[in-house]
Amino acid sequence: MFLQFLFISSAVLTVSCALGVLMVKNIMHSCVFLLGSLMGIAGLYATLGADFVAITQIMVYVGGVVILMLFAVMLTGGNDFVSRAQNLLGLPASMGNKWTYAIGLLVGVVFLLTNIQLIRGLTKALPVKTITNEFPSTVTQIGHLLVKDHVLAFEMSSVLLLGALVGAAIIARPRKQN
Amino acid sequence: MNQTVVSYLSQYEFYDFLLALFRNNQGVLAFTLYLLLALIIVGMCATIGGLGTYAERKISADLQARIGPNRVGPYGLLQMLADGVKMMTKEDIMPFTADKKLFYLAPLLCLTGVFATLAVLPFSSGFIMADLNVGIFYLVAISSLVGLGVFLGGYASNSKWSMLGGMRGASQIISYEIPVTISILAIVLLAGGMGFGTIVGRQGGLPHEWFMFHNPFAFIAFFVYSVGALAETNRAPFDLPEAESELVSGYHTEYTGMRFGFFALAEYIEVFVVCGVAASLFLGGYNVPGIKLDILPMQAAQFVIFMTKTLVLYYVVIWIRWTLPRLRVDQLMSVCWKYLTPIAIFNLMGCAIWMVVFNGKSIAELVLGSH
Repeated sequence: MFLQFLFISSAVLTVSCALGVLMVKNIMHSCVFLLGSLMGIAGLYATLGADFVAITQIMVYVGGVVILMLFAVMLTGGNDFVSRAQNLLGLPASMGNKWTYAIGLLVGVVFLLTNIQLIRGLTKALPVKTITNEFPSTVTQIGHLLVKDHVLAFEMSSVLLLGALVGAAIIARPRKQN
Repeated sequence: MNQTVVSYLSQYEFYDFLLALFRNNQGVLAFTLYLLLALIIVGMCATIGGLGTYAERKISADLQARIGPNRVGPYGLLQMLADGVKMMTKEDIMPFTADKKLFYLAPLLCLTGVFATLAVLPFSSGFIMADLNVGIFYLVAISSLVGLGVFLGGYASNSKWSMLGGMRGASQIISYEIPVTISILAIVLLAGGMGFGTIVGRQGGLPHEWFMFHNPFAFIAFFVYSVGALAETNRAPFDLPEAESELVSGYHTEYTGMRFGFFALAEYIEVFVVCGVAASLFLGGYNVPGIKLDILPMQAAQFVIFMTKTLVLYYVVIWIRWTLPRLRVDQLMSVCWKYLTPIAIFNLMGCAIWMVVFNGKSIAELVLGSH
């Protein structure tokens, strides 16, 4: 009962806010709708019992990505995009020509067929599985997996993040006056 | 596992009585209890936030050898109600060029983020809305909505002061989240869990059993956390987003009436939450010294202990505000990135090494011998 309520409300929030991102003309409003959509996805994770992933979703996307997006939009002009509906060459903006429409249609059809293929197996009666778990919480489980099975990926991503950090420091460093 | 306040209450006899009252409908009863307790906690914390404004004025008056509010009620205690009525009856002004939807949304985001953190704040071992096993992580994550509210408030007002205040607020909150989170991580390492029940349960009532005095690194981590938390709640000496001498009053310059009240209330409740987290992570939380019983009156004692610790920290926060001058923006950023963050990482590694070398024993256990 409660899980169904959580699932339906999260799903409605996710989809409606995702539509909002596309429909709204103002780019700041788009960012705020994106916030709602990402919160909805966190709710979907919570429905699945993945509490750690749900919180990480909020932490990373709401606390980090959306704020950085708002910053970027504000520093690069923000609301001016609404009134200036032109493309880069100064021509009136349009959705594309016949070739872009054809390619878009093709991609859409392929995507739809792939999704149908994926979903087809799931529409039959689902066996109810009770998940047996030897760990007391998902946090413990993720911790164990990260330092046992996936330790290489874990360490490599930490090296990648260190590289990004050093790169950002080098870019932001003031140039020497020669 | 995830414990909740309802699962705690269900071990007592009156729960069965209530269950019979609800015709054995477990779900409806749980929902009703949650709703009631959530209303109680939100009401209580809103009152504490309101009293916080009174305390702020009274303590600042004390520090500056003034009298402070003393006209409304005994000792001016009802000043908060008078302020509330004043705010509600004020005209709600919307700037002509403001982004209206975001202007309405921003104070609500601030307040939502703060109220959502109350769900995991451990008032006592039973009176904690939901003892999630990702408790402290949830608190850190959901409180980032406050930063978003501050930023959007600054943007939507469409004035230069607000814009500057909002940008300062967002950058400050994001930056100081890093040393604060790393300091919290050091404590999570000591406790071996992220749930508040686990963290507080591993500590004792007496000071030598607190995590603050567990090892030298945790001791430093407490001060790193305190400084970072002051900055995250936009309190002086880090109140640059609303620096009234430079930015009029920053991100809420254009807000009037109760919308401004929401921002102010969110700030005071957030200070309370941050102090509560400091009390439960570092200062032993709700543990009553010397007694370990699991009876209902014990909960009241635990509640009193928790509140005492939290309100003492609250006093210190106000005391700091009226003692120290404000920092500059560049000083603020260099304090965060050049000092606090490296110290916090050093503390984290120190705690990890301590746990391995001394097998998780605290200083007191090493000195007094294990028990």
